[in-house]
Amino acid sequence: MVSSQTDAMGPAGPVAVAASASPVGERGGRWRRRVAYVILIGYALLMFLPFAWTLITSFKTLPDSTQLTIIPQPFTLEPWRFVFANLTPPIPVMFGNSLLIAGVVTVTNLALGSLAGYAFARLRFPGREVLFLVVLATLMIPDQLRLPPVYVLFSSLGLTKGVAAYIPVIVISAISASSIFLLRQYFLTIPRDIEEAARIDGAGFFTTFWRVMLPLATPALSAVTILQFQGTWNSFFWPVVFLSADPSHWTLPLGLTLFRQSGGFGSNWPPLMATVVIATLPILLLYLFFQRYFVEGIAASGVKG
Amino acid sequence: MTASRLLPARKAGARNEALAGYLFILVPMIMFLVLNIGMVLYALYMSVWKWSVLKGPISFIGARNYQNILSDEKFWVAVRNTLYYTAIWVPLTMAVGLFLAVIVNQKIRGQTFFRGAFYFPAIASSAAITVLWIFLVSPSGVFNEIRGALGLNPLFQLLGYGPNQDWMGDYHTALNSVIILNAWTTSGTFMLFYLASLQSISHEVYEAAAIDGASAWQTFWKVTFPLLRPGHFFVATVGVIGGLQLFDQAFIGGGPNGEPNNALLTIVLYLYNALFIQINFSYAASMGIVLFVIIFGATLIQRQLFGRTPAW
Repeated sequence: MVSSQTDAMGPAGPVAVAASASPVGERGGRWRRRVAYVILIGYALLMFLPFAWTLITSFKTLPDSTQLTIIPQPFTLEPWRFVFANLTPPIPVMFGNSLLIAGVVTVTNLALGSLAGYAFARLRFPGREVLFLVVLATLMIPDQLRLPPVYVLFSSLGLTKGVAAYIPVIVISAISASSIFLLRQYFLTIPRDIEEAARIDGAGFFTTFWRVMLPLATPALSAVTILQFQGTWNSFFWPVVFLSADPSHWTLPLGLTLFRQSGGFGSNWPPLMATVVIATLPILLLYLFFQRYFVEGIAASGVKG
Repeated sequence: MTASRLLPARKAGARNEALAGYLFILVPMIMFLVLNIGMVLYALYMSVWKWSVLKGPISFIGARNYQNILSDEKFWVAVRNTLYYTAIWVPLTMAVGLFLAVIVNQKIRGQTFFRGAFYFPAIASSAAITVLWIFLVSPSGVFNEIRGALGLNPLFQLLGYGPNQDWMGDYHTALNSVIILNAWTTSGTFMLFYLASLQSISHEVYEAAAIDGASAWQTFWKVTFPLLRPGHFFVATVGVIGGLQLFDQAFIGGGPNGEPNNALLTIVLYLYNALFIQINFSYAASMGIVLFVIIFGATLIQRQLFGRTPAW
């Protein structure tokens, strides 16, 4: 984990993928490459087609949705109208809930994670290594083990009812060990001379961190932003525990699940697929624009969410 | 800060630095201590008490919850489902992930595109992807339509599946459907792990193999595969830990009872069920401890299996 982290997230950016094809004669190589392309393209299609099918289905009528028609016959916007007119809570409410939680959790992870990551990378204080191990050890604790006590804790504080129910979901994800870890690894790669120059100029620890080191850590901050936003936007476990009781608190993943289970869609697939598209679209856009952060971040940290 | 600049008092400087360090990590450390380590201890405490929702601990019951778990048939159904899922899903996804990594790692055009494409299903939420999947494998869904159109139905008939098989709704196929679903969404992630591991193998090893006249097949099994040992260990460990915690897809597909007929009842789902359906807080807490012991044990076993301690 640690070893792969440093080289993939270094300021040099992505490590070029080393070619490892062994030379097996020109003709053998060419055939092997052709087979490789067939497999690659075939598997890539397997990745995309279900999503394309979802999008197509969201423009179909119910009888057409069980047919193999690629172009909807007839093409209809009815499922989308249905989704925006008939769901309670309305789509914008669920979208807003998802956005609120993902946004706040991302900001707290950036703020707390960069401060702690910088301290663990650069500041010298007794017990630093032990405390960092404590941080990493929290990755070993499964969320489910924490569920009963966490629920008892927050309900005894009266934070599971009403608007307060957002609080446990946010607090429990407010800082993750993986954010601290990712940022620490990045700060370790920044040359010491830069901050020493700042310190000689009389800058304090916070000023050095804020004015000098943080701007240099933009790639790692971007990675944390994207991974954290995606992870929280998609999260299911803590939201279902704390937010499922009151529909006005539902996030999009909760809405998708609980509507379907309560028969809110019947077996009316097209509007359900329209909701899947809405729940996935923001992350899809993030992925299209910032793909390398996803791919490198996952390969580097090996820790989800 | 100004004082330490004017006078090069190193001791004061070191003290300030330590102070800044503690301040910078203060909030996360408190949260980790309370919400992680504290909660583990609290779960242990809860598990040995008879617990009332309103009053908390009522009477000390020692290990009775743990004894009850061991004789709880439903718990064993959950254990069996979870172990079955993990035992099939992890090797399957590892094999696909490794296969993709080896192909993508060759000198091919569009490497970045394929890496991105194979990771693509992993970006969607478990809810979106599971609902999508339920639609694809529903009785009149696209999977059944395509196999019908391809004339494969007689083959499926031999296996005992009718033309309108409800893959997620049938007791016999629900868990296998979740396995395929999660293999599909996670193969790209495992590929990325394996790619990182592949890149740590030095070029010289391959050159030596080529000089010895090894075929691509031999090179893979004799050179690449054994040298990927740390990669295997990492992927298997991450996979098993994740597999033993299966919850989202089971809940989204089968609700809090793991329908149909407990087919999707996993350990975590049963814990959730004990907490919110049976409202038995201390029983749920003890189940969390048992799950942790299972996960920890599995990790230790893998460490033994794969030998050497990895870098992390």
